[in-house]
Amino acid sequence: MSDPTWSFSQSFSAQFQASRTELESRVEASKSTQPTTDALQALSVELAKLTKTLSDATGSIPSYDQRQYELQLKGLQTSLEQLRASLPKTKFAFKRKIAPPTSSAAVPVVPELPSSERVSTAMSANLTLSSYSMRYLTAAAISNPSQATDLAISDLDKCIVNLLPDASPTLKISALHIRNLTDSVLLLPVIEGSVLLHDVRRCIVVVGCHQFRMHTSTNVDVYLSIPSNPIIEHCSEIRFASYPPALSASKDATFSDEFSVQDFSHIKSTPSPNWTKLPPEDRIKAWPTDASLSETEVLAVVNGLVSH
Amino acid sequence: MGLLTIIRKNRQKEKEMRILFLGLDNAGKTTILKKLNGEDILSVSPTLGFNIKTFAHGNYTLNIWDVGGQRTLRPYWRNYFEQTDAIVWVVDSGDRMRMKDCSEELHSLLQEDRLAGASLLVFANKQDLQGSMTDSEIRDALDLRSITTHQWKIWPCSAVTGENLVTGLDWVVADVARRLYYSTTAPQQALVPAAA
Repeated sequence: MSDPTWSFSQSFSAQFQASRTELESRVEASKSTQPTTDALQALSVELAKLTKTLSDATGSIPSYDQRQYELQLKGLQTSLEQLRASLPKTKFAFKRKIAPPTSSAAVPVVPELPSSERVSTAMSANLTLSSYSMRYLTAAAISNPSQATDLAISDLDKCIVNLLPDASPTLKISALHIRNLTDSVLLLPVIEGSVLLHDVRRCIVVVGCHQFRMHTSTNVDVYLSIPSNPIIEHCSEIRFASYPPALSASKDATFSDEFSVQDFSHIKSTPSPNWTKLPPEDRIKAWPTDASLSETEVLAVVNGLVSH
Repeated sequence: MGLLTIIRKNRQKEKEMRILFLGLDNAGKTTILKKLNGEDILSVSPTLGFNIKTFAHGNYTLNIWDVGGQRTLRPYWRNYFEQTDAIVWVVDSGDRMRMKDCSEELHSLLQEDRLAGASLLVFANKQDLQGSMTDSEIRDALDLRSITTHQWKIWPCSAVTGENLVTGLDWVVADVARRLYYSTTAPQQALVPAAA
């Protein structure tokens, strides 16, 4: 019995069986307790090592033994996979290492950035004026009014918004996105860019702009100064008038209401039934420019103006 | 008119590209085109139907179709899909409230068989306005990384200042050229002396 292959095969089998049974008992033990991901990882590493020693021994052990061992390893692999499947699924996420408690003085203290700075580096922010009811709103309601030039006004009910230069001198807007307003009065300056409105109901809108588009709105009086053609789409009962000179920054400016409204819901040669010119006698003469109105006064003014 | 003229004319014709400008209304499609073409942008009015612009860019003649983006007009976009080499999708970077709408329109557009293979340039327009979303925010909002059917690129730009307009157009023209005129871009030098 001095054949080296034979003796290797003997010792390999002994070692292999020992490691395998040890691993098997560990896997069995994990089945009864709730294994951690790390423990499972350790088991798979062990299994991989064992698989490698077996494949390294190929040719040095009887092929029948080899097949048997492979089957045993496969069985182990299956039980491991079952174990892994039983683990609660965790979504992939970047984890922040939690700093050890401050009691360990060796850890250098990293100064925290002010929260506002962190936000601005992560995301750009626009100006918003959103979610008010029964309020008189000026630029004071907008955070950081001197920064952005794109303003979004949304979700207002029974409000007066006054962003005219007299009430909001630091504000400079170039573009307006307006959505979901009811029973409100908007007093807006003449801006350089475009105005886009969606879902406006029973409102009065005063604005000057380069382009004006209004969608899915009803019952709106628009006092407008515009060099191009205003667009309405899916709107009804819209009335147009010229921008009131009384609200203009340049007091002697005159504004025309001779713009031609384009109704995309009525692409025919007949006049659109969805808009009219606001008759001069119905145009508002006294504008609510007093920002000190109380809640009930705002309500009274809005009800008085938005009555049609 | 000899054979040479015909060949020349053919070659000239080959060097044309058809580019479709699309996007929601108020994105600035027409303004970008006017700025690129050196026209006055203050006169731009919302597009009622479509505009066609033809101009030379490098060695290529670009036929650009700018179709209005109003909701009512969007069903008509399909009429312009035939033979399109590239789509330029223009986004109003300040229109946060309609980004979802914008993303849906873009992705449904890319399903179109007739646009298969067209290069996609996304212009994140209105970067001159502070408070606009950045190009990377728009890339995420429009889920551009999920696009596997088209070569795409996003450029932050401003139709008012002209920033990146030419750069963006350069990219899309080069991308189309690589695809369409691969055989004629390289051996061109060899052919020209023969024609001259």
